[in-house]
Amino acid sequence: MSSISQNAPGKTVLLMGNEAIARGALEAGVKVCAAYPGNPSSEIIGTLAKVADESGLHVEWSVNEKVALEVAAAASFAGLRGLCAMKQNGLNVASDFLLNLNLTGCGGGLVVVVADDPGGVSSSNEEDSRIFSKLGDLPLLEPADFQEAKEMTKSAFDLSEQLGLPVLIRSVTRVSHARGNVRLDELPQSGPKPGFESSRRFLAFPAAPNHRLLHERFDRAKPIFEESPFNFYRGPEKPELMVVTSGSGWMYSWEAVMNLRVQDRVGILKLGTTWPLPERFVLKHLKQADRILFIEEVDPFLENNIKESYAQNCLDLGLKAFFGKVSGDVPNVGELSPEIATRAIRTLLNVPYESRPADYALRAHEAASELVPARALGFCPGCPHRATYWAVKAALALDGREGFVLGDIGCYALGMGPSGFGQMKTMHAMGSGTGLACGFGQLGRFGLGQPVVAVCGDSTFYHAAMPALANARYNGANFLLLLLDNSSTAMTGFQPHPGTGLTATGGDAPVIDLKAICEVLGAHVEVVDPFDVAATIETLLRLLQDEEGVRVLILKRECALVSAKHQKRLYRVEVDQERCLGETCGCNRLCTRIFKCPGLMWDKGTGKARIDEAICTGCGVCAEICPGSAIRKEKT
Amino acid sequence: METGEKVNRGLKALEERVLKQDLCAGCGACLSLCPYLRSWKGRVVKLDDCNLEEGRCFGYCPRTDVDLNKVYEGIFGKGYEEIEVGPVRKIMMARAKEPLWTKKAQTGGVVSALIDFALQEGVIQAGILTPRDQDLLPQGRIVTSRKKILGSAGSTYVSGPTLEALNKGPWKGRERIGIVGLPCQVLALARMKTSGLEKRTPIDRVDLVIGLFCTWALDYKPFMAFLHERLDGRPVKKLHITPPPERILEVTSRGELHRIPVDDIRPFIRSSCRVCLDMTAELSDISVGTVEGREGWNTVIARTAMGQDLLRRAKDRGVIETRPLPKNNLNHLMEASLLKKRRALNALKEKGGIEKAYFTLPANLIKRILSEPREAMP
Repeated sequence: MSSISQNAPGKTVLLMGNEAIARGALEAGVKVCAAYPGNPSSEIIGTLAKVADESGLHVEWSVNEKVALEVAAAASFAGLRGLCAMKQNGLNVASDFLLNLNLTGCGGGLVVVVADDPGGVSSSNEEDSRIFSKLGDLPLLEPADFQEAKEMTKSAFDLSEQLGLPVLIRSVTRVSHARGNVRLDELPQSGPKPGFESSRRFLAFPAAPNHRLLHERFDRAKPIFEESPFNFYRGPEKPELMVVTSGSGWMYSWEAVMNLRVQDRVGILKLGTTWPLPERFVLKHLKQADRILFIEEVDPFLENNIKESYAQNCLDLGLKAFFGKVSGDVPNVGELSPEIATRAIRTLLNVPYESRPADYALRAHEAASELVPARALGFCPGCPHRATYWAVKAALALDGREGFVLGDIGCYALGMGPSGFGQMKTMHAMGSGTGLACGFGQLGRFGLGQPVVAVCGDSTFYHAAMPALANARYNGANFLLLLLDNSSTAMTGFQPHPGTGLTATGGDAPVIDLKAICEVLGAHVEVVDPFDVAATIETLLRLLQDEEGVRVLILKRECALVSAKHQKRLYRVEVDQERCLGETCGCNRLCTRIFKCPGLMWDKGTGKARIDEAICTGCGVCAEICPGSAIRKEKT
Repeated sequence: METGEKVNRGLKALEERVLKQDLCAGCGACLSLCPYLRSWKGRVVKLDDCNLEEGRCFGYCPRTDVDLNKVYEGIFGKGYEEIEVGPVRKIMMARAKEPLWTKKAQTGGVVSALIDFALQEGVIQAGILTPRDQDLLPQGRIVTSRKKILGSAGSTYVSGPTLEALNKGPWKGRERIGIVGLPCQVLALARMKTSGLEKRTPIDRVDLVIGLFCTWALDYKPFMAFLHERLDGRPVKKLHITPPPERILEVTSRGELHRIPVDDIRPFIRSSCRVCLDMTAELSDISVGTVEGREGWNTVIARTAMGQDLLRRAKDRGVIETRPLPKNNLNHLMEASLLKKRRALNALKEKGGIEKAYFTLPANLIKRILSEPREAMP
């Protein structure tokens, strides 16, 4: 149940960080919200889409982050407030526009929320998006808890209008995806009417004067940040150690100080406005301590910027020792944790502390392993991608020329692991599989004799692969593009996209047909159902042999999780225990040892396979691959 | 000394010792036994790893640990003794009498006529032959009719996975089966018959094995690529190699005859053929080949009582006619057959030694094959 649209000032509700951001935008009177889904940012726009109608908003899933930012910026140019959300990789896509938008400035409040994924838990990369605020001279806010997530978002709109610049908010997974109490404020009842003032121009050119103007606008943020309530110090007057932190690092640091019982020895300088630095505020507090420890997610952003300020002012401040990612006291890759913060502080203070016995993790793992079935990171039961990679594996092996698969971003990226039989060999950015194929597809003239195959999901195709396909056709690249069309943006939570016929708010939309697009770009296009394994292998083999230009095979089959919501199982599947060959020659557990759909179980007692009826989706693919015809499927 | 580690005799070993060494004969004995191996365009391909220590794929393969003495013992009741053309009950030349068979035949039509006769007589209820598809790719097929027999006649000098049809079926369950195969396939059938592994194939219902003489077979993919280039992509209708000393590959395509020296296609001979000991398909009931200098006639060797009986009945019923094989031709056959064995042993020597070969053979026989003077032949 979404509680973000209720107009109940003073009420405290439990909100996810991303919902708090959405609520903040509503309280600020946002009108246009756009995003391309990406963890951990997806719920911001997802939540707003649910209340769009009642709140009178335009909310859309755009085809990519650059378009999303352009959509939000247009609202701003017309005097309305616009919000754009994305994950860290998304900002790379949007950055081309963003780094011109800073030069033109904006009108109505424009806020760009970037949710970073420290550790790259659900990302292809680990990236600190904060560097873009420095790159583009854009103000940056970092919420540390749920209330702040709401307040900062709300105030970011005001700030944006005050400065005439878009404002960046950097969240991280543990802020976006955790839940906490949030006290609501009033929702505005009316807003301005949009209009494009004919006297106004938003032209990045000429660059140099606009660059000067940008600096002037940016500098106006400095005095505002010096007074910001999002920055504060907690601790003794003269701490032995001062922790400087932002975002989720604040909670970790505070927890560490409490657990170590060193409140009287350690102070915490918590920063919420991290670019431009509230320099006077920071320097004032640096004077309090000689040893400074930085706790922040991903890159030493505060660490280096504050050291830069210190260098400029060191005569006043005297000698200081700095600890953090640069010194190696805090890991410079992976996600932070209370444990990491505790270890860093304990080491620097020489406090004996053991948060848990040394072998705790090992014992916990052992205890859990008996309760939880061992499952590798992989596709869901009945996932069409498993069937696709099964066919790809067979076709490439039979073809025998060592063809290889260039990967892309989406659920099917799990094709790099065992559930995709290790077929996918590259993974970079959205659309990069097709782009790389454009290059590999030119190497035949130099003697590359291996077939080139790219995979791409439906949503990813609209996002970034369409230009690559046009390029392939234009430059005569030779490869086979597999469009894995599961009719969903499955990886990020089943958001609709241009091929689904639905908008973000549940309205009807024209279907932008994948096949028609590919055909109009001049590619030879075929469509196959990956659940028909034999036909898929045969089609793949035929298309692999075809050496002319770019060929597209659309593997069309709805995501199993989506299908489960609106249709019953296709088949009732069972294993004939008499016919199951088990581990004997002739099978050797093909279904549970190699194919490995989680819907299949190996019964050690009987030495036979079984269906896990609780999770089997009834796709029937295992019946096709069983060599003993022991797996039977019956239409439901 | 290494202890405890079991020697793998499954797919892992097959991959290491046969597939990766390019020693696969493409006979089809390992196919359709399990999901891990599949054939495409004449090549056997491993699709996934199988970790069984012992498997039928390895056990049936004609290029893995073949104890020739034991196999011959299992089929003929006596070990590997003859070093020229294998066990012989009777040797003759023969041809089919009906023009139906001779018209389409590569030589004398005896093979097609015998399979047809065996079906008519109820000796077998199904034959496994090797027709080619429209791309000239040989495939094992179960045949029960004259039309299908005729459709399988002739050769493209390319080997195919004939034995897959035996493993794959479909079988009703009681048919007695007759198979026509190359020497490698005949050896594989003998291994299947004599294997101690659980079978789950109809090998025990194979009552008739007709083996074809073979000096080598071509590897489908590179040979087809070569023909495609030579013929500018025009379709091939028929292939025929003229007898020695000329040895020209005649390719019929769109009514034109293209003549290609056999030396040009030698690079496409399967590596497996270069280490093959068997020219005359020694482990069959009946072996059939050409007769040098006598076009339209087959050399026929009856090797088992069953084979001899079938030939006698076919002759009595006027299906085939026979004549004694002239002494010269017999001598020549024995010489050619021995030379094939010798070439194989020499090739193996170069490849790392006969002792490491895919078969075991008593040392005295190896010595005889390598040194037997031609004059000593009967």
